[in-house]
Amino acid sequence: MKRGAFIFVLGLAAVTAWGQYVAPKTPWGDPDLQGMWPGNMGVPMQRPAAQGTRTELTDAEYAQRVQTAKQQAAADAVDVGAPAAKPGIGPPSYWTERGTPTRRTSLIVDPPDGRLPPLTKVEETLRKEARGGKGFPGEWRGEAAAPEDLNIYYRCITRGLLGSVIPVVYNNGNQILQEPGYVVFRNEMIHESRVIPLDGRPHVSESIRMYLGDSRGHWEGNTLVVETTNFTDQDAIGSNGAGYPGDPGHHSRDLKVIERFTRTGPTSLNYEATVVDPKTWTKPWTILIELKKDDHFQLLEYACHEGNYAIGDILSGARAEEAASKKN
Amino acid sequence: MVRMRISMRGLLVAVLSAAAVFGQAPAAPAPARAAAPAGYRAPRAYDGHADLSGIWFTTSSANWDLQDHSPQQGPMWELGAIGAEPAGQSVVEGGSIPYLPAAAAKKKQNWTNRRTTDPEAKCYMPGIPRANYMPYPFQIIQSPAGILFVYEYASSNRLVNMGKPMEAGSDTWMGTNNGHWEGETLVIDVTGLNGLAWLDRAGDFSSDEIHVVERFTRVDATHMNYQATIEDPKTFSKPWKINLTLYKRVEKNAQLLEFKCVEFAEELLYGQYKKK
Repeated sequence: MKRGAFIFVLGLAAVTAWGQYVAPKTPWGDPDLQGMWPGNMGVPMQRPAAQGTRTELTDAEYAQRVQTAKQQAAADAVDVGAPAAKPGIGPPSYWTERGTPTRRTSLIVDPPDGRLPPLTKVEETLRKEARGGKGFPGEWRGEAAAPEDLNIYYRCITRGLLGSVIPVVYNNGNQILQEPGYVVFRNEMIHESRVIPLDGRPHVSESIRMYLGDSRGHWEGNTLVVETTNFTDQDAIGSNGAGYPGDPGHHSRDLKVIERFTRTGPTSLNYEATVVDPKTWTKPWTILIELKKDDHFQLLEYACHEGNYAIGDILSGARAEEAASKKN
Repeated sequence: MVRMRISMRGLLVAVLSAAAVFGQAPAAPAPARAAAPAGYRAPRAYDGHADLSGIWFTTSSANWDLQDHSPQQGPMWELGAIGAEPAGQSVVEGGSIPYLPAAAAKKKQNWTNRRTTDPEAKCYMPGIPRANYMPYPFQIIQSPAGILFVYEYASSNRLVNMGKPMEAGSDTWMGTNNGHWEGETLVIDVTGLNGLAWLDRAGDFSSDEIHVVERFTRVDATHMNYQATIEDPKTFSKPWKINLTLYKRVEKNAQLLEFKCVEFAEELLYGQYKKK
């Protein structure tokens, strides 16, 4: 293991610093990315416009974020049994993994303003006219005629390729396993194990479409680069498979995601993903998630669909409400 | 739920097998069960153990019914012959599953209601052992961090811990999996199963007292023997064994595809609540 070369130079572009660390090798000679790499919630997907191109919080903003986290932790500790607690579909607050505050202003690192690029005209129209004007079900707006009115996250289908790794309030475990010729990226969020071949084989036929797409990996020095295509247009890309706050995350079947996994130190790994879909966004965008190794973290089985009472309850509740309003 | 049951004998054999791998004389006593047929030595993985990696599937009709069965009408007559059940020979050693009387009655009831109550119809995780003989391929990834089984059906998977055995925590669909090598054979001790998965489409089932010991042994370049010993004192009068063959996918472009089946089960599960 060559650790000596790791130099972190403040103020230099991060990419320069990453290049310094040489990951240990697997017994068969690939860079070794294996381990448990849980995500750390707390950095917003998009940067507030007021922060401009600033990638880090000021001292005052950071102090505020730390303070908010403290208040949140105190609130979480007051159980769901609090008299004011309302019924909801979220997990009890003491389950939540809110992570440790960091100084980063947004997960999006490109464009430089940390915000999603504008939609294409075609996509704007699609989103407006989808499903007879109801829009894509990225965020639930109270429509509950059929399961399809709820997004794939509510339906426990998947959180999608990015949503499975972007930290949210629970199930942030990620694990990387390797064997000669393959890397597997496992996500606790709805028990995904994406098997990525490294042998340079072509993608499957365009006729085959998958929620997590078809991934092919290769090494560029110490970095694992994974290109994924063959997506459906039924999922959504964003923080939880259901888009990102205020947006359904809809994309086209031409979506291509390029992920880069780079170990930056003995216990740190940078996960970068570039989203390319010229039919949907006017230019590509990139997120960066800094993962910390934690081999005490255990991936637990998330039997989301098996325990999904929400869909049945939401639909039957809506029918009961309609029946009641007819009587009145 | 069944917590870990690692017998001292099992540990001893594991230690001795490990010694054998590192080139010392294996002084192990004769194994209790048949090991690999004499003569076949699988290719080696990076760590010197037998290489079980690859994509596997069974051609048996075990998922329809583990026991001997004639061809018959499936649960959905609307599907015609497409939905009919093919005949199959038992993969249960000795032919039949030794149910306790009450459990035998429950199995019959399961059979009658199978169209709507088989967890496979609902796209629930398949549990162990069923995951290994469903009509979908699975891939074994043999990594330094453990041996991962990735099943195409319902994106289910399980990581087999090859280190110090772990005790089961909460019950799960895919169980707590502790593995070790006995020579050429990967032995997996599965505990902590929730018992909600069925064993086939015929309504065969277990309780949460189920404990499964699986044995994977390659028998030639493209075949692997799969044995599972199942015990569950709430359901069966004695332990019993499944024994079947797994076939390796040899196509150059073989890969797992995606079968996220939730959306195919939604009409069955929630159709009654849809707006008419």
